[in-house]
Amino acid sequence: MRVSLNWLADYIDLGSAEPGSVAEALESLGHEVEEIEHLAPRFRRVVTARVMEVAPHPRADRIRVCRVSVGGPSMTVVCGAWNFESGDTVALALPGSTLHGGIEIGRRSIRGVESDGMICSEKELGLGEDAEGILVLDADAPIGDDLASFDPLTDTVLDLSITPNRPDVMSYVGVARELAAYYRVPYRLPQTEFPEVGGVPRIPITIEDPSGCYRFVSQEVRDCRVSRSPFWMRTRLRASGQRPISNVVDITNYVLLELGQPIHAFDMDRLGGAGIVVRRAHHGETLTTLDGVDRRLTSEDLVVADRQRASALAGTMGGGDSEVTFRTTAVLIEAAAWDPPTVLHMSKRHALRTEASARFERGVDPALPPMAAARATRLVTSLAGGEASSRVTDVIARPDRMEPVTVGLEPGEVERILGPGFDAPRVTDLLSRLHLEVQGQGPLTVEIPTFRPDLTRPIDLVEELARLWGYNNFPERVPRGPGGGRTVQHQRTRTLRQVLCGLGFSESVSLSFMRASEIEVWGWAEDDERALDIRLRNPLREEESILRTTLLPGLLRVARYNNSHGLENVAVFELGKVFFDRPHPHLPKVPDQPERIGIVATGRMGGSGLGITRRPVDFYTISAVWRVMARHLNLPDWRLDPVEIAGWHPARTARLTVEGREVGTMGELHPEVVRRAELFGRVAAMELQLDPLVADRTKWQFQAPSVFSPYTFDMAFEAPEELAAVDLLAATGEAAGELLESARVFDEFRGEPLGAGRKSLAINYTLRASDRTLSGEETAAALRSMADAARRLGAELRGEL
Amino acid sequence: MENLDALLESAPALVEGAGSLEELEALQSHLLGRRSRVAELQRTIGRLPAEDRPRVGRTIQRARRTFGELINTRRAVLEAESEAMTLAADRVDVTLPALEYPEGYHHLITSTIEEVCDIFIGLGYRVVGGPEAESGTYNFDALNTPPTHPSRLESDTLYLDWGDPADEILLRTHTSPMQARYMEKHDPPVYVVVPGKVFRADTPDATHSPVFHQIEGLAVDENLTFADLRGTLAHFAREFFGSQRSIRLLPNFFPFTEPSAEMHASCFSCEGGGECRVCGGVGWIELLGCGMVDPNVFEWVGYDPAKVSGFAFGMGVERIAQVRHGVSPLRHFFDNDLRVLSQFR
Repeated sequence: MRVSLNWLADYIDLGSAEPGSVAEALESLGHEVEEIEHLAPRFRRVVTARVMEVAPHPRADRIRVCRVSVGGPSMTVVCGAWNFESGDTVALALPGSTLHGGIEIGRRSIRGVESDGMICSEKELGLGEDAEGILVLDADAPIGDDLASFDPLTDTVLDLSITPNRPDVMSYVGVARELAAYYRVPYRLPQTEFPEVGGVPRIPITIEDPSGCYRFVSQEVRDCRVSRSPFWMRTRLRASGQRPISNVVDITNYVLLELGQPIHAFDMDRLGGAGIVVRRAHHGETLTTLDGVDRRLTSEDLVVADRQRASALAGTMGGGDSEVTFRTTAVLIEAAAWDPPTVLHMSKRHALRTEASARFERGVDPALPPMAAARATRLVTSLAGGEASSRVTDVIARPDRMEPVTVGLEPGEVERILGPGFDAPRVTDLLSRLHLEVQGQGPLTVEIPTFRPDLTRPIDLVEELARLWGYNNFPERVPRGPGGGRTVQHQRTRTLRQVLCGLGFSESVSLSFMRASEIEVWGWAEDDERALDIRLRNPLREEESILRTTLLPGLLRVARYNNSHGLENVAVFELGKVFFDRPHPHLPKVPDQPERIGIVATGRMGGSGLGITRRPVDFYTISAVWRVMARHLNLPDWRLDPVEIAGWHPARTARLTVEGREVGTMGELHPEVVRRAELFGRVAAMELQLDPLVADRTKWQFQAPSVFSPYTFDMAFEAPEELAAVDLLAATGEAAGELLESARVFDEFRGEPLGAGRKSLAINYTLRASDRTLSGEETAAALRSMADAARRLGAELRGEL
Repeated sequence: MENLDALLESAPALVEGAGSLEELEALQSHLLGRRSRVAELQRTIGRLPAEDRPRVGRTIQRARRTFGELINTRRAVLEAESEAMTLAADRVDVTLPALEYPEGYHHLITSTIEEVCDIFIGLGYRVVGGPEAESGTYNFDALNTPPTHPSRLESDTLYLDWGDPADEILLRTHTSPMQARYMEKHDPPVYVVVPGKVFRADTPDATHSPVFHQIEGLAVDENLTFADLRGTLAHFAREFFGSQRSIRLLPNFFPFTEPSAEMHASCFSCEGGGECRVCGGVGWIELLGCGMVDPNVFEWVGYDPAKVSGFAFGMGVERIAQVRHGVSPLRHFFDNDLRVLSQFR
């Protein structure tokens, strides 16, 4: 809400308080000041002048010659506008003056008549968009004054952001009331008296739906003249962010900003039949609102209707058919109290948020409508003329909403939340400043005025006390908790992250969605859990419409993003939840959402340097990463088995089993998946369940290293293609028994001189005993039994023992 | 004999004159070898008169020792010189990055979460997680959010097409549901921080993302007051943004806290006024929302609001990281551009 300090001064005297300190006061009360704007005229040497005489131009029909006075001898000015007469006060740009946009005005001759300057329009002065006619100032404006020093033009505007619980502050009076509490000064309400005229007929009002309308106040004004608003009102509305339209419409906006009560004005002659009905809309009923949109209504919409049809969306926007125009001569002023949720849902349903709906959806004081209607009537009759009926029509459907509430408050309860210092006298003083009536000494009884619907419980009053006391006037104290820190799982997850970073993988954080176009290529079988996706009911875009069941599409997107920015070697991992269309194993009513670790690598990886090239990624890249992970996470009992899974390379993919439990998949992605992800070459990937990896696993036993010499040797075996290296290692290792210290495959080879379907595996073994140096006989025996074990698997030792 | 004496006299100069290890080898063989003067004398000693033998023998011993020491000393010098030359030839360009180990980078979101959690662990808090696909019950009802509250609308919250529609299964809009979940399962005192992903119905732009991260804090105990909230957040601000920070709290509105506040920290980059990239010259940086836990939340989880009190706060992880490191726009957190990730520490 934009608050002009000039206008605000009508309701509170702030003395010499600078705009900056007023802003600080408002902020300390919880009303954020988003901007402080200083308004100043952007013209020079423009003065107020009275038009003394207007005469036709001797040689032109469309322009006139005016005699104007700025206090001294009269001056002659030629003017092309027709919206003023002699006696009006206007803005005169003297020769040598500068107008908005830097235009300079000099003395010049217009078709033979010398003009001593120019009478200006609002647009020429940079005050508004109106270029139709010249600016006519208020009749009582002093003449000869520099227009730049004209009070309404020099102003400071505070742009306030009002929290949704404080509809009472969304008005000038409301802001004044808050500042009055802060500065301990009184505030004033605007005048509402108007000349009463009996005999103006009163339209009957019927509230058919009390659930939507608590109160409806109306007032008719007849024989008024709709024209432009006076300059002061236009200036105030503009400073507050409203576009002036006509006096009657401007008055409704003015009262809305002034009191916070939205007002609607109907052209009474354009309402059908005598009588207003507040009702729910008929299903399929239509209404063209003031913004020109044809709206189809539902039975949830609440409307103000005449005897025939809907004329306004309650508390939201009026209808075009009954709009007040410059031809209107009779208006019906409406000030009502609407049910907040009804207005909220209506404005959301029609995507129509207005100054009125913004207030009604938060709750407008139900005591306000009579005062607001009277205030509007006063302004209409004084600015547009006309006759008003002596009293407003006031129909109350929900008297219960108008009764003030009382809340009990124990000072001890205040101190329990705010700390010491809030005894009964201080509490009473603070609450009274907020215009709450406090009774009692020990337990206090606080009467809440109807403009504070947010205060219903003792804790609400505690907040008021803290707010007025000043949030920043409390001391600082740091309490300590009993501890707990991170769980073992958290700590081990952190270890995992550090290990992966150390290996050259970067952590990625993706949005938790996947796209239909990304997943169709995988071709998951129906019983594959990754096909158990959950869709959003209200996605904003296709990109965020499906919850991810796997981290890999997101990681492929990261690889692709980097590739397309010239980074070919991408090694990334992500830790995060995936979501499955099945119940959560522990929590009721929510879907299963386990944690996963996903890794994707493409391009080359590893150390590099002069004469060293990074290795292109492949299956072995990812299985090597796994072995480091397993070592750091202390997971010795695991195995990899070849597996065929949709989306993965049929011959380069393994299932990981840890302690007999299937934990995930690693390997290379299927070339089709790689192509669809717009990547190149081999893409190595891994996706594992996180929980089994990071479960508490702190137990392991120390083994003293042997002080005796090792026996290190190589063995090469010719083996059938289908023999897994891990099985050969296991069999030969078992044959070596306790003596085996390590075994490492250092070469794999196919082709000549081996036959088809054969491969050669070369393994480097180290044997060592913990209590002796091995003898030649012992090592020879071990080698023989290792060769025998290999032979039983179909692997022949190449060369001699 | 006279020859040997002369040799002993000239030996130091001879040895010193050896310019290389090869020359020194030749000299050694000349002085001490099989055909050297010393060896010749040794061979003839038996033919000398008995009374001369001890003297000649001593002279020979002295000559051997002297020659040996001279040669060894000279050898050490020559070897050192030789090694020095080898090493000099072994020079590398120390500025050349000839070998590079692979490097991976921690994501700024994670490292920020870890850092903030560490600050609160230091104050005795526990780190807990919670479900991201959540029910309306925990995301809204438990947190005193009325059924008509605008945050429940589909324009604000992402709902899932899953489960019983009455349960309103959604993507949590804040980490606050864990307040209710944790208090439901644990008795006070409660001191927890909850980092995690949260979701909003926002189209990505410079300052919005449908997914971002929060860290929730909750402390419930006997006798916790507004001063504890202030002190705890001031401690956090000083740990995270520097020891000179002060904070200010401005009243705000959240359904699940009362009194509610927005916390600002004094800008770490300027003294206020003028043009500041970080705070825009205001001198204060808006950091997080906080407040005293609303009694309705305590009642919902079965705590007695007359016995316990507490405070809660929720900070945007991207927000505080962005403030401290200037990462902007927001998409840099989620594009995972390696050129961005490699800047994260």
